Amino acid sequence: MIRVVSWGIAGSVVDSGRTGRAWLGQSRGGAVDVASLALANRLVGNSEARAGLESSGGLVLAFDEPTMVVLTGAVAEVSVADGHPVGWGSPVVLPAGASLRIGRLLDGARTYVAVRGGVTRTGETLAIGADPQTPAATHPAARTPLPSTVRLWPGPRLEWAAAATWAQLTTSEFTVTATSRVGVRLSGPVLRRTTLTELPSEGMVEGALQLPPDGHPIIMLADHPTTGGYPVIAVVDPADLPSVAQAAAGANLRFTR
Amino acid sequence: MKLLPYGPRAVLAELDSLAEVMATATAWRAAGLPGAIEIVPAARTVLVVHDGTLDTARLVAAEPGVALFDAQSVTIDVDYDGSDLVTVAKASGLSVDAVVELHSGAVYTVAFCGFMPGFAYLVGLPPALHLPRRVTPRTRVPACSVAIAAEFAGVYPRESPGGWHLLGTTDAVLWNDDATPPALLTPGTTVRFRQR
Repeated sequence: MIRVVSWGIAGSVVDSGRTGRAWLGQSRGGAVDVASLALANRLVGNSEARAGLESSGGLVLAFDEPTMVVLTGAVAEVSVADGHPVGWGSPVVLPAGASLRIGRLLDGARTYVAVRGGVTRTGETLAIGADPQTPAATHPAARTPLPSTVRLWPGPRLEWAAAATWAQLTTSEFTVTATSRVGVRLSGPVLRRTTLTELPSEGMVEGALQLPPDGHPIIMLADHPTTGGYPVIAVVDPADLPSVAQAAAGANLRFTR
Repeated sequence: MKLLPYGPRAVLAELDSLAEVMATATAWRAAGLPGAIEIVPAARTVLVVHDGTLDTARLVAAEPGVALFDAQSVTIDVDYDGSDLVTVAKASGLSVDAVVELHSGAVYTVAFCGFMPGFAYLVGLPPALHLPRRVTPRTRVPACSVAIAAEFAGVYPRESPGGWHLLGTTDAVLWNDDATPPALLTPGTTVRFRQR
């Protein structure tokens, strides 16, 4: 069993989410950076969709039994009491009585903790699932930095923006002003809308880039509303979603076709 | 129907009317389009999210009004105690009783869901009750509020901010994560409100 001593900032138990319910108003949910959770699960021998933990810092876990854990996603200041140090991408077995603290995140927005067997939350405790019977990785994962240039596709309502918008989007630098499980808010050159009338709500995908009337785009993430009324003028290439998911406030993003 | 680009894994079909959207989304869901992951109807569009193998030639609009829906029907018991009941009556030039009678006398159909899990947009609201949404949305609408806005009626599955006019409350369970389907009101469902 694992006790959650502190959930910290945006700490939660997440799996890979679920599809097929958008027509009922439910988006995928699950890990915002699903690739990092999948990597963490593979490293400890789990199937990729097992539930682990997502944290933007401050998560503190106490272990009541020997437990194999691994960290992926953003590199964080990590401290371990009464156990071995835990590095990025390298599975470690923490002894009973150890505790693990995810401190400040150094280069991203979300750190993932996978536990061999996966976890199920009951209140402030996490039950550890059955051993997956698959060996854990024997070598640490190689860490490749995420590209800060993200590929874009034209969205369904690109013509609702001024003619210069696509060029502005793909040649300017944007700064992340806020990130949540719902989406990332960007600041850069103000993108002008030519149509200001209200758009009847329409379906949105993860990675949809919406343009609100203030001209500062928002990119949708795992918990986005399934429908929205701001025009979607571009869509992030699904392969580049991890870069958006890991862009913390203050980070810069560039876009390319 | 017009197909609008939505990146490599989705396409947005724009249709002429809500009725056409409802017929088309239902037909596509029933057809089990190979490669489709999500089929999301909305006010004038149907979004299809896919795995890259979808044949867009199969996306053909359906005739509105064709009875493709399961004959599923739900009655929702309502206490007409909403905080906007008097405002709605004044704005529509009716008595409170007449508002209740109109709202509970109509037969609705779920057009689409959105906003939050289990929030259904119901069509069939009598035109006398079509009012623009509140100028200032409430920061907190209680769960199970029965509400109207523009041409739609709806019920808030859980507490949230919201700009609709509140007519009453219900104790119906709008969303149960463990049920199949998890939403009480799925697109196509016939809905009636009954005064309690």
